[in-house]
Amino acid sequence: MKPSWVSDAHVVIVAGKGGVGSSTVAAALAVVAARDGADVLLIAVDGRPGLGPLLGGRPLDREEQTMCSRGKTGRVRGRTIPAQQAFSDYLELKGINGVLRKAASAASLDSIAAATPGLEHLLVLGKIKELERDRAADLIIVDAPPAGHAGSFMRSASALQEVVASGPVRTQADEVAEMIADRARCQGLLVTLAEETPVNEVIELAYDLEDRLGLALGPLIVNSCWPDRDGMCMSLTAAAKAQSVKLTPAQKSALQASADFGRVRLEGQRHQLERLSELLPLPRILLPRIPTARFGPAELELLADALSTEPSSAPSATSAK
Amino acid sequence: MSESLETILQDARLLVTCGPGGVGKTTTAAALGIAAARRGRRVVVMTVDPARRLADALGIDLDARSYDPVEVVGATDGAGGGSLWAVMLDAEATFDRMIIARSTDKKTADAVLSNRVYRGIAGSLAGAQDYMAIERLHQLNASGVWDLIIVDTPPSRDAIDLLEAPDRLVRFLGHPIYRALTMPSRSFAKVTNAGTSAFLWIVRRLAGPRIVEETIEFFRSLSGMEEGLRRRAADVSVLLRSEHASFILVSSPRAEAIAESTFLANGLLDGDFSLDGVVVNLVHPMPPPLSGLADIAEGPLAEQIAYHAELTALAQSERDEMAELIALADGVAVAELPLLEVDVHDVTGLVRLADMLVGA
Repeated sequence: MKPSWVSDAHVVIVAGKGGVGSSTVAAALAVVAARDGADVLLIAVDGRPGLGPLLGGRPLDREEQTMCSRGKTGRVRGRTIPAQQAFSDYLELKGINGVLRKAASAASLDSIAAATPGLEHLLVLGKIKELERDRAADLIIVDAPPAGHAGSFMRSASALQEVVASGPVRTQADEVAEMIADRARCQGLLVTLAEETPVNEVIELAYDLEDRLGLALGPLIVNSCWPDRDGMCMSLTAAAKAQSVKLTPAQKSALQASADFGRVRLEGQRHQLERLSELLPLPRILLPRIPTARFGPAELELLADALSTEPSSAPSATSAK
Repeated sequence: MSESLETILQDARLLVTCGPGGVGKTTTAAALGIAAARRGRRVVVMTVDPARRLADALGIDLDARSYDPVEVVGATDGAGGGSLWAVMLDAEATFDRMIIARSTDKKTADAVLSNRVYRGIAGSLAGAQDYMAIERLHQLNASGVWDLIIVDTPPSRDAIDLLEAPDRLVRFLGHPIYRALTMPSRSFAKVTNAGTSAFLWIVRRLAGPRIVEETIEFFRSLSGMEEGLRRRAADVSVLLRSEHASFILVSSPRAEAIAESTFLANGLLDGDFSLDGVVVNLVHPMPPPLSGLADIAEGPLAEQIAYHAELTALAQSERDEMAELIALADGVAVAELPLLEVDVHDVTGLVRLADMLVGA
């Protein structure tokens, strides 16, 4: 069943700092929606091709493909939108064809974009807006470029509104800005880790997107959390004693090594979750750390299960689990 | 193995760190800087977008940026005469200074600085940052002050953009459209080049006539600076490919980071850049093996046993993934940095990392 926090918006933009796993979360969300019977279109803006195989398809490219199906109606389709393609699609849409279009292609997007800053991103967002308008899918999930870039990607429309007073680019920018600010059409989903720098950056990104662009944000997804086990806080000796177990020296040194490391990391995780509670008033969902360095379809299903839960609506410092 | 990192830190004049996002690239660049400074060299690290806490550690004030490098306090113990300095690339300020320095008079400079197209390019365009990184690198190199310049590139694919920016700039300055735009003709109506008029026509269709005027004005005002831009870009292109430059790939041991690093390594090789080292950062420690105790299913001890099993599985999986990258990096220096209990956030932490990289 689709969790209630997935809004009825047709577009969900998933964003986070590089390395926090936002692409994987976007893929897991696609699985959640497909399980619920939705026809999902997953768009990787940066063209991370690895998302295709993760969902059972071939590497993502500009050609749309169906990567997997769930039940009668649920399926996940995927594609990338390279700026160059969005540009030629746009020229076609505006009736710019023939010799002129060839000349424009020769001039290259580079030089045209140089004259119109933010145009590349706007063209990609514009394409997403058209897909939304045409109801190309029940749900369009956008894997945004990593933060740093996510901000400028999402801001491209409003930045262009400041520079361009009229013409088709202005219309395009207006329409994109309108879609982003409309909570019935568009939702943002931010992904972070419970670590200092990702936490700082997601807070900045959240305020930037919500206050400046009016993007409605869904729950904050905190990825790769170690399970918060109370027993980790106890010293090894006390834990063994409490259970009347006599450990050999080898067992002792093995457990001591992992527990010493785990305890400090877990404390750090709790501390960062507390900071998030204080600084970012969003409900949140904690995704478990899956102990592997390589994600495959099986791990993706686990993440989808975890995403299907209801978020903790009022995060408090103690509900770190 | 660390011997060749040692050699690089002693001999290189330019060190470029590249890698996917979120792998601790800037931290590694700073640690390499500390290691070189402790070997008596005068080192500057130029970063593009440091995380706040690392910027704090390096003494970079993100809110009131200094254009010039600032010395990192506590980077060396004072012996050996080396020092570490840090500077954040401020693309806009670099661009502004370039315009002011190369303009014939203040009026010309002001005209460019207030041009909307210029402001858009200088302030936000990713490409501008690449070009300005070239300018800044050229300045730092030409100053003759530094024994070693470390450039911390933006994440992954952008790194290739940055490295190819000098060549792109040289190409763009030679492009017929650019040449036509900067022709000393009175108005663009006289521009007869088909590609250029198509270009202008499309910009006008897309963005309106005012942008076209300002675009032409902007390019025309740049025309006096073209030769200098071209020369410096060509210099940097040569420097990046010279024997004095070394590239260090920084990755985490996760499969997707390694896939990106592999992509990046191939990009470097294709671009004739010299990949001389690989640093795998954030590696989980492998605890000693545990045998027996399988019958303990609950209680605090069971939880500690479960954690041991998870950490072991993760650490093993990371080592399997790393093997691939290490095999790929055949013949170059490879170093491994552990995920620490507490993330690096001050100079002491950076010194500790530096010692792990190349020994005290």
